[in-house]
Amino acid sequence: MTDKTNDPVAMWQKMVGEMEKGFNSFANQAMSSPEFSQAMNRAGGVAAGAQKQLGELMEKYLVTMNLPSREQVTGLAERLQSIEAQIGEMKSMLSQMAANSGISQGFDGMPRPPRTKRPPSENGGQS
Amino acid sequence: MNAPAGLDLASIPERIQSEVQRAIQRSIKGVEYFSTSGPSLGSTPKDVLHSRGTMSLYHYRPMSDEIYRIPVLIVMATTNRGYILDLVPGQSFIEFLLKRGYDVYMLDWSAPRPEEKSLRMEDYVLDFIPDCVRRVQADSGEQDVSVIGYCFGGVLSLLYGAIHADGPMKNLICFTTPIDFREMKLFSNFSDRRYFDVDRLVDSVGNVPPEMILSSFEMLRPASRTVSQIQLWENIWNDEFVKSYRMFDRWATDTLPLAGEYFRTITKDLMWDNKLFNDSMSVGGRAAKLESIKVPILHAVAEHDHIVPYEAAKHLIAKIGSTDKEEVMLKGGHVSLVAGANAVKRLWPKLDSWLGKRST
Repeated sequence: MTDKTNDPVAMWQKMVGEMEKGFNSFANQAMSSPEFSQAMNRAGGVAAGAQKQLGELMEKYLVTMNLPSREQVTGLAERLQSIEAQIGEMKSMLSQMAANSGISQGFDGMPRPPRTKRPPSENGGQS
Repeated sequence: MNAPAGLDLASIPERIQSEVQRAIQRSIKGVEYFSTSGPSLGSTPKDVLHSRGTMSLYHYRPMSDEIYRIPVLIVMATTNRGYILDLVPGQSFIEFLLKRGYDVYMLDWSAPRPEEKSLRMEDYVLDFIPDCVRRVQADSGEQDVSVIGYCFGGVLSLLYGAIHADGPMKNLICFTTPIDFREMKLFSNFSDRRYFDVDRLVDSVGNVPPEMILSSFEMLRPASRTVSQIQLWENIWNDEFVKSYRMFDRWATDTLPLAGEYFRTITKDLMWDNKLFNDSMSVGGRAAKLESIKVPILHAVAEHDHIVPYEAAKHLIAKIGSTDKEEVMLKGGHVSLVAGANAVKRLWPKLDSWLGKRST
């Protein structure tokens, strides 16, 4: 077997690892400065402004093309969400009714295991 | 001429042959990589108990003949999806808990919709979590609930626990949970109040875009993405490596947007004023002091966590009011602490031995 110190593949991998650490450390130092924060947030502010403008422009374009706007799609999504929530509530009520009638079962209709488990140290090491 | 010390000349042809075979495999597997979609994640059988906007409550189907009395509610971080805790069979924290006899629920998040930009910290701490706890109580028939919070899910769980000190939370487990936000040095610098206009950002974009969240995570280790791609290419002949890479890469890039108002509060109250650490945090006018939490607590932190450095998490246990409290530092990083081969042998058994005896 070759020694790791002379294995070119291992040497390459080590070099990549060291480069990663070195670059990350260097970049972290650079990013810790107030100047970096200032520059990053200036650029971020511009990008956020541009995103808002673009969003408004797209909204106008969709109206012109007679396509549903985001607001309309969101409205549909809300209605779907409300239907989903009602189905969820119905399932929950059914489950509750089943529990009240003494049937211990989940949404899948399968009976639930008993809640009697003890930690291994209390039952002779069995889990 | 003598060979350099440690170099076995006889092994060179064998090594060359192995490298050539790997090069061929790389080409074949490389094509496969781009034409397949990777392993299916989050597939442990579960039921959606409740879903409301960005919030979903799952109940996982038991995998044991007998379960502990106290159910477990996992509160996921709002920036990422919960399937990191349910990767594939054999590497799923959820599956591990189920097989060890826990009754497991998860509060998971989907991307907040544009109209959910007005969700506030109050909605998460005083509505979503209590609502899920009530539903867990109703579904399980038990009053006590153990809560596990991962990363910012831990922060939300702490706020919930501090405000609802009278119960029904019975045990609290936090994974890599920051409380001293000054010590998250780079995030702190990125959000320096002198230069970061959070109001302008939130008022412009509504929900904070996932790209921005992802970039801020990636900026903590800017070379790591490139290096991981180099490592992928080197190891693309290795199916296990590729499977693991795909799982973690998919999850890491599947970042969620954050609701605008919620982000505004995180920035102002936590990043700028460090209120949780300074005992001045309140949510919806209700004080949230860590000393109010009296339930048993376990805090697991990672030795090489670059997202939540130890300095940001280390005061949690000291500030908690419980008498039954423990911090455990384990090898690994922010993600490998909870998922993957490292977690299977370190965190999961530790959690099981701690929680099992407090779950009856």
